[in-house]
Amino acid sequence: MTDTTTATVDNAPAPGTPLLQASNVVMRFGGLTAVNDVSLTVNTGEIIGLIGPNGAGKTTFFNCLTGLYVPTEGTVTYKGATLPPKPHKVTQAGMARTFQNIRLFHNMTVLENVLVGRHTRTKEGLISAILRGPGYRREEADSRAKAMEYLDFVGLANKAGTLARNLPYGEQRKLEVARALASEPGLLLLDEPTAGMNPQETRATEELVFAVRDRGIAVLVIEHDMRFIFNLCDRVAVLVQGQKLVEGDAATVQGDERVVAAYLGTPYEGNADSTTPEENQ
Amino acid sequence: MTDTLQIRPEAAAAPKPAIPLPTAAARAVTAAGAVLTAASAFLSWTYSSQFPGDLTLSGYPGGLQWITFTGGLLTLVYLLVGYGTPGLRGLAPGGAEGTTVILAVGAAASTWFTLIAISVELGGLANLTTGGWVAGIASLLAVVGALGLPRDGQHPQGHRLGALLYPGKRPELAPAKRLAPAFEVGIVLLTLAAALGVFAYGVDTSYAELFAGFLILAGFAAWALNRSGDFARLGEIMQRHRVLATVGAFVAAGLFPFTQTSSNAEANANLGVSILIFAATALGLNIVVGLAGLLDLGYVAFLGVGAYTAALVSGAAGTAFNVQFPFWAAALLGAVVSGIFGVLLGAPTLRVRGDYLAIVTLGFGEIFRIVVQNLDGTSGPNVTNGAIGISNVPDLNIFGFDFGSAHSFGPFDIGRFANYFELMLIFTAIIVLVFARSANSRIGRAWVAIREDETAATAMGINGFRFKLLAFALGATLAGLAGTVFVHVNYSIVPDTFQFAGPTPPNSAFLLAAVVIGGMGTVSGPLVGASLFFLLQAKLSFLHDYQLLLFGITLILFMRFRPEGIIPNRRRQLEFHESQTEDGQEGPTPELRTAEA
Amino acid sequence: MHELPQNLVNGLLLGATYGLIAVGYTIVYGIVQLINFAHGEIFMTGAFGALSVYLGLGSGTSMWIAIPLMLLGAIVTSTVIAVLTERLAYRPLRNAPRLAPLITAIGVSITLQQLVWGFYPSAKSPRVFPSLPGGPFHVGGVLIQSADIFVVVAAVLSTLFLAYFVRTTRTGRAMQATAQDPDTAKLMGINTDRVIVIAFALGAGFAGIAGVAWGLRYGEIKFDMGFLTGLYAFTAAVLGGIGNIYGAMLGGLVLGLVQNLTAIYIADIPGMSQFSSQSWSSVWAFVILILVLMVRPQGLLGERVADRA
Repeated sequence: MTDTTTATVDNAPAPGTPLLQASNVVMRFGGLTAVNDVSLTVNTGEIIGLIGPNGAGKTTFFNCLTGLYVPTEGTVTYKGATLPPKPHKVTQAGMARTFQNIRLFHNMTVLENVLVGRHTRTKEGLISAILRGPGYRREEADSRAKAMEYLDFVGLANKAGTLARNLPYGEQRKLEVARALASEPGLLLLDEPTAGMNPQETRATEELVFAVRDRGIAVLVIEHDMRFIFNLCDRVAVLVQGQKLVEGDAATVQGDERVVAAYLGTPYEGNADSTTPEENQ
Repeated sequence: MTDTLQIRPEAAAAPKPAIPLPTAAARAVTAAGAVLTAASAFLSWTYSSQFPGDLTLSGYPGGLQWITFTGGLLTLVYLLVGYGTPGLRGLAPGGAEGTTVILAVGAAASTWFTLIAISVELGGLANLTTGGWVAGIASLLAVVGALGLPRDGQHPQGHRLGALLYPGKRPELAPAKRLAPAFEVGIVLLTLAAALGVFAYGVDTSYAELFAGFLILAGFAAWALNRSGDFARLGEIMQRHRVLATVGAFVAAGLFPFTQTSSNAEANANLGVSILIFAATALGLNIVVGLAGLLDLGYVAFLGVGAYTAALVSGAAGTAFNVQFPFWAAALLGAVVSGIFGVLLGAPTLRVRGDYLAIVTLGFGEIFRIVVQNLDGTSGPNVTNGAIGISNVPDLNIFGFDFGSAHSFGPFDIGRFANYFELMLIFTAIIVLVFARSANSRIGRAWVAIREDETAATAMGINGFRFKLLAFALGATLAGLAGTVFVHVNYSIVPDTFQFAGPTPPNSAFLLAAVVIGGMGTVSGPLVGASLFFLLQAKLSFLHDYQLLLFGITLILFMRFRPEGIIPNRRRQLEFHESQTEDGQEGPTPELRTAEA
Repeated sequence: MHELPQNLVNGLLLGATYGLIAVGYTIVYGIVQLINFAHGEIFMTGAFGALSVYLGLGSGTSMWIAIPLMLLGAIVTSTVIAVLTERLAYRPLRNAPRLAPLITAIGVSITLQQLVWGFYPSAKSPRVFPSLPGGPFHVGGVLIQSADIFVVVAAVLSTLFLAYFVRTTRTGRAMQATAQDPDTAKLMGINTDRVIVIAFALGAGFAGIAGVAWGLRYGEIKFDMGFLTGLYAFTAAVLGGIGNIYGAMLGGLVLGLVQNLTAIYIADIPGMSQFSSQSWSSVWAFVILILVLMVRPQGLLGERVADRA
């Protein structure tokens, strides 16, 4: 085995202990407050949903969690340790993500994409890559075996040799999940995993997310699709105009008048964060 | 005719030939043309022996007539393949007719090039004898016949002239059966021998006309073999016998000096070693540009750092340090110093946006030249002897083997440049190994991931800055290594060698072009690109004044029409096959498509 | 006694020329995110365009008539070549990977240089450029040539024109919109192709003016003068904050000053006396560039570009 860190399935903390804790996160771009004082906790074994109208600051919040942005105020801790504000270190620590607009390595094969996901869990450097000693070969073989396993898990094992760009849309989403899983995360962050999917594909994604949870990985998911999110999540947080409106189980959220108002359009004054750089990428 | 993607052309209604002839008649005309073309090489083409190669003799083909002869013969062979001749049928899995057209045109083009060259150089068409006219007309006849053959492959629609003459795109090949292992090994060896032969012939062409004719036919032949699917098939076989093919290729290259027996042997060996140095440097650049996607426009400076370092510790007179390191130490030192410069330059610039890197490296290239020029004792401390440079760099002597003098191996005399050729071949092998293995590893995947999408790569846990710096430093190190040999081969070193663009390689622009035009991210791309560039500038000296111009235009055209280069990146294919062979695990279904992006 | 005022003036004059060229880099980069390597050559062809006009006028023509015509010749030459390269070389690569247009730009640069070298009459060696009559003037111990006055006037007028153009004209605003978000600009009905061509043309016009200024100041022009000058001008654009037209001017001035002042004052640093000569000035220019990239990568006036995720 390689230097598998604390984030693996085997030694994950008992269900119910806090995994990710974001406290009072504020993100400002110049004079614009995209995320305002949002706190969120994800416990092990949970599936948490984050919903909100377009431009509510969901992705910005996501980026604060994953180290792409440094929050203006507030802290983000993972397993009790403050996360370094560098995406690659966040992944190293055990949080992996997918992107709203799929960001695969298009000119690499499906297998290679997943192998890149193995990056933080492997350590062979340039010299050993050139010398190709037994240690290197073992790690590479191990990596490939694991990568195939993840591909099998999402149902893409038979496409391993295809270039990522040649996959149909739905399979590209699956590949992103496999790639993220390959980094053996304790928490998986999914940014609109069903965007652009038909009901069947959405249903399959639901199954996939449950299967991920069953592997002992907590999931935080941003989504628009209400039905999807309420079927899936243990708890749902609603973000509106950068602020957390309400948090609770499906029934609580669905029953909340403010949520209904935010979605069905009471006067929605201003567009506080429609220019959040993330939302139009 | 909506679906042009037919694998078996016969199955669909084949498009009409460009010239409406009955198939049998077309075959006959082509065959007659091809045979006559080949035969015409044995006739006298001109009255005067002033034209190089002496084409006045009947029965003894000279120089360019051999090119015509080969062209005619190749056309005939593929015509016979298309006719279904037993034993030849497997030669054109992608369709023989389109191939025949290309070869016929190639034969005609090289023949007419010769005829025109004769007329121009000797002053008028009157200098052509009947034999010359026979050659010209026969080669055109073959083209006419070939255009009348039933068409295969994928064709663009429409009836414009271009669409009619286009020889068709190769259809996707059905998977091939494996041949007997011994037979495949034989094919590998034969291919390598043929490649060595063609290359040695090209290098040994002693006058520009012959080289140009050779290049025309070689270009068309390469296109034809690509169209016929032979290259693809050969690639598969090479892939299956990768170790043999790689080792064999280096052995074949090592034999190159032994093929040079003419009076030009030393000059050709010099050309060979220059190509190797240039190619090895380009390969280092390919890590930076092709794999990691970083545009380095001052790369030749790293070659310079290595070269100057080696020169300074070579014991050459007039240098600041009066020391003489053994070569292995000098080579190591050159590589390390160059690598350090890479880190020093990369560390501040690789954090910022990629475009800036291009300009900073361009600046570095210029600074390097200026600094070296200024360190002459007047404008600065005397280290490099300024614009005059360091001369009289002594020849190498490794384990008592003096690289400066000729040695005899049996019947072969191996001269100074040939010695260095063999040494540089070892260095090239090391660089190829470093490139291939790092490209095909965790490190290489990280580089490509950064190139493809840096944000996503970082989100997968890759430290973008560190890996970019690694690529940059590794590239610099390899260039420095090549530089240490460079300085010994050339006896001396002057700052002016290391320009951004200049009429002679190596310079940063040529290196970049060798990578881009050869094929980014591949091993063979820069090798092919480097050979082409070097041979072109060495052989076509009459173009000297326009070389850079043509070079600039070539760069523009390549980016426009074939951005993937001569040899497109089949890295993914390599990787895929390796997973089957090396790890012995079950590979996924071979749904391979190479990216042509 | 270093004649500080004279060096300051020289630095600012050199810088103004850099600034004029840098504007072209910055406009084009701001709109299509392309480092137009060939822009230095556009500057060079402008100078040769002006020379051609001068040679065509015949001797004895008053410089007061010749200069406007030469300027026109320079601007037309530069603009035509820039628009042609955009149309033929860059536009087909609009959606290609980033490296492709950069490499094309290198090809264009080499091609233009070689075309002038190979086909412009006796351009293989420097060609003499006409000079302005009058001068030199002594202003408080500072020696000023009449060409210097031309540079100042040209730089000031050009900057004012550009500021007016970008701020108030429809096209100028369309350019700003395209620079911010080309896709949305397109949706809003802006013809982005046209905007891009105008950006190239505008930059080329300025480069043409700079070409005339260069010729007048140095008295000769050369086929390869665009290479290093273009490199400096790009440095100036980065220094000022690429994409910002005032930044380009400012960066030019700063760079010009740095080059002139280092040539004198480096010698005052103990142990550095040998590094002060003119031949080291380009080294210092790049050292400054690298320092700026390390400390303030967005340049002096540039805004921080958010990492697009």
